[in-house]
Amino acid sequence: MGFPLLSLIVFVPAAGAAVLMLMRGDDAVRWTALGFTLLDFALTIAMLTGFDTATHEMQFTEIRPWVPALGITYALGVDGISALFVFLTALLGWICVLASWVAIDRKVKAFMVSLLSMQALMLGVFSALDLFLFYVFWEAMLIPMYLIIGIWGGEGRVYAAVKFFLYTLAGSLLFLIGVIVLYFQGGKTFDILILTAQDLPFPVQSWLFFAFLIAFAVKVPMVPVHTWLPDAHVQAPTAGSIILAGVLLKMGAYGFLRFSLPMLPEASMYYSTLMLALSALAIVYGGLLALAQDDLKKLVAYSSISHMGFVTLGIFALNLRGLEGGILQMFNHGVTTGALFLLVGLIYERTHTRSIADYGGLMKAAPVYTVFLALFTLSSMALPGTNSFVGELLVLSGGFAANLAAGAAAVLGALLGAAYLLGMYGKVALGPAKVTARFKIRDVSAREMAAILPLAVFVLWVGLYPKPFLDIIDVSVKHLLVHVHGKGSGQ
Amino acid sequence: MTAAALFQSVLASLPEIIVVTGACILLILGQFVRKGQEHLLVGASVAIVLIAALATFMLASEVRPAYTGMFIADRFAVFFKFVFYLATVLTFLLSRKYADIEGIGSSEYYVLLLFALSGMMIMASAIDLLSIYVGLELMVLCTYVLTGFLRQERRSNEAALKYVILGAVSTAIFLYGVSLIYGLTGTTRLDGMAAAVTGDPLDPGLLLAVVFIVAGLVFKVGAVPFHMWVPDVYEGAPTTITAFMSVAPKAAGFAVILRVFLNPLVAASDIWIIVAVIAVVTMALGSFVALVQDNFKRLLAYSSIAHAGFAIFGVVAGGADGIASVMLYLLIYSFMNLGIFGTVIMMRNGDFSGEVIEDYAGFAKSHPGLALLMLVYLFSLAGIPPTAGFFAKFYVLVALVERGFVMLAVIAVLLSAVAAYFYIRIVMVIYMREPQRVFDPALTPLVRATLAFTAIGTLGIGIFPEWFLRLAQGAVFGG
Repeated sequence: MGFPLLSLIVFVPAAGAAVLMLMRGDDAVRWTALGFTLLDFALTIAMLTGFDTATHEMQFTEIRPWVPALGITYALGVDGISALFVFLTALLGWICVLASWVAIDRKVKAFMVSLLSMQALMLGVFSALDLFLFYVFWEAMLIPMYLIIGIWGGEGRVYAAVKFFLYTLAGSLLFLIGVIVLYFQGGKTFDILILTAQDLPFPVQSWLFFAFLIAFAVKVPMVPVHTWLPDAHVQAPTAGSIILAGVLLKMGAYGFLRFSLPMLPEASMYYSTLMLALSALAIVYGGLLALAQDDLKKLVAYSSISHMGFVTLGIFALNLRGLEGGILQMFNHGVTTGALFLLVGLIYERTHTRSIADYGGLMKAAPVYTVFLALFTLSSMALPGTNSFVGELLVLSGGFAANLAAGAAAVLGALLGAAYLLGMYGKVALGPAKVTARFKIRDVSAREMAAILPLAVFVLWVGLYPKPFLDIIDVSVKHLLVHVHGKGSGQ
Repeated sequence: MTAAALFQSVLASLPEIIVVTGACILLILGQFVRKGQEHLLVGASVAIVLIAALATFMLASEVRPAYTGMFIADRFAVFFKFVFYLATVLTFLLSRKYADIEGIGSSEYYVLLLFALSGMMIMASAIDLLSIYVGLELMVLCTYVLTGFLRQERRSNEAALKYVILGAVSTAIFLYGVSLIYGLTGTTRLDGMAAAVTGDPLDPGLLLAVVFIVAGLVFKVGAVPFHMWVPDVYEGAPTTITAFMSVAPKAAGFAVILRVFLNPLVAASDIWIIVAVIAVVTMALGSFVALVQDNFKRLLAYSSIAHAGFAIFGVVAGGADGIASVMLYLLIYSFMNLGIFGTVIMMRNGDFSGEVIEDYAGFAKSHPGLALLMLVYLFSLAGIPPTAGFFAKFYVLVALVERGFVMLAVIAVLLSAVAAYFYIRIVMVIYMREPQRVFDPALTPLVRATLAFTAIGTLGIGIFPEWFLRLAQGAVFGG
């Protein structure tokens, strides 16, 4: 056991939160928060540089006893799949700090403390190798997220916060029972690797699959348990929306990848058609709802439901292209939708309206802003050359291979995406200059640029040269597939 | 009884003797304490408990049966006694300022608490239905009086009266069960009961007797269907006494329930089905009714009913892990519940009662530190990690699943999701509302110390549960 890099990555933001608690002065708090999140980001880059893409084994592992009386360990480690999300979380961390620099003007310290604790917990989720530890991180996230939405959110924040809390809690508690059942099935261990290696009888797998499904589906969110998401997104402050869309929604899909597929392979294969159907439903239904929105944030929120449908579709296609596409789409969605929420937040700070009808002709008033908006809109609808194109293409080809109808539904969803995104962009950026008549709009400032630019870089980088990203996940995904198909077909 | 046996018995019950003797001395000397010198009473009471704790600790190394099979000092009893010490000492610390404000700071208040403590200690060590009864009555008689201690307040008098009458009924039920057991088996000793049964262990007479005994005990822990007194009594009693009652006597009740359930006679019967139903209904009732409460003390009363229900799930699970899970649950519950009550008690200042939930609106703005503490206690009560409340529930669920009661575990977690709602509703009032008026909490150093201590316990056990888990397991396995 060498240098505890992962522990550092997880606990640097937590330490930052602790330091912030002792500080005074809003600006000092902001800079310190930025410093800690940047340090954390640097650490994840160090992790990626040291990452061996040739193996599916867990890397940077740390294992220490925690509650030996119950077989609980403090175990961290990453494979290709989790490494990508650890990186994404740390990237969005400091962008969130920048995004809330002026947007959060009251209780700044408490906000930054919540934000940094949230980041620590999310990083913990992606690197935990012990189910109990995973659950602690997973569930503890409810506290800071509840506060972020409930204290700093919009007018209906309390309702949205409570709804978010109860949905997620009710889902997770069944997952907890599933975890305990697994614990006894696996001979009293919470070790994720040991639990992955064992074979469970199909009826047990079936029950566990649905217990897990409820928890993960709420987080993804899949239709019909998606209704908390628009509320939470619309009410949350910009940074909250970025975290929700960028990282939190990924956790449900990550749960499928880390638990459902490897631990319950037979059930995953058996119920894959059901999951494909639910994904197709989410894609089309989310797209239709997005088409009907006038509120910018709601539009992006419903588009998230549709996009996450692509992710689950890719995962449950259970073939290489689908899985790789799904995972890459998770990363892409974090970058693109995070950026879209950021952009919506920026314009909202200036005009205090999110109604699309209020806008128009933004291109004249804020040309740089509209260029970025165009880039991320195009990325969201998966135009060639952007990141989502690569991911969506992989998902579609995997989806068609798995189920023709699901693939067709996904194509329909992609068309719907083009319709509502282009429509939104046209109404906001082009047309008569409604908005400049009412507000004096500044273009993007240097600080805002610092937050947007890195995301734009990733959009083009993944779009034009996705190989490094696919390389990170490739071996792990292949291993996962062999594992699922090997065990799932009842060998 | 030979002199040596007598000496052994006295030695085994030394902590109880210290508390009773100390209380008697305090009763006499307390008359000489002048007004304004009440801190001497607090100091003396705490000292008595600490000496008893020291004696308990010194004697904990071995199992000591005493008084010809009426009493035993084993690790099971030691664990519970430390829960009682913890709850009593913290109640003393919280009481000082509160008693001043309410004008109840006479020495009797402290003496009665000490006698109640001795009663609970006897309950934890009792292994005979009669010694259980003696401990039980000693405890409840003191709490009857303490409930009515706010003599000027009608609410308090009413609560005491209600408590006495219902308590007497439950005692009668318990005694009836005891007499049935004696009639059927010819013994009242817990370990002798199973051996003395001559015919069928599932004799309906025996089952009836056990049901009566369980009913009597269920009253003391405030579980359905004998929960009706809890909200009224909790609301009417002085808040410090409510805090005490929600923790210590409840733990004592569970100590006896666990002892009775360890008995092979009870284990052989199908009584667990009844207990499972009690657990489900208790949790459901506590959780759902708490949703509509506006009074903080009443809300906490229903919350304590819900928590009793959850702990009973551990009793249903049975086995070593089930029993250990109940014990750990009670220990953790003591920390977090005394913590949350500490914040309610601290709000009682001037004309401010701190009993209405609305009073806490915007508390986070005026007192961020205290609000953060309340947040920790409330999330712990709701069972969200990394607080101790989560681990308490987790271990009960582990015990349930281990015994194959997966459906019960699912019911338990779904009901605790309901319960989570009313805790986060308070968090919402504290953090997301604008303050209505200025308030000035009665924050004495003693109250501060209590809050800090309970917070450390609430977070510490959550993050490092191993030692406490071993303690609880050791008290079952090794006792």
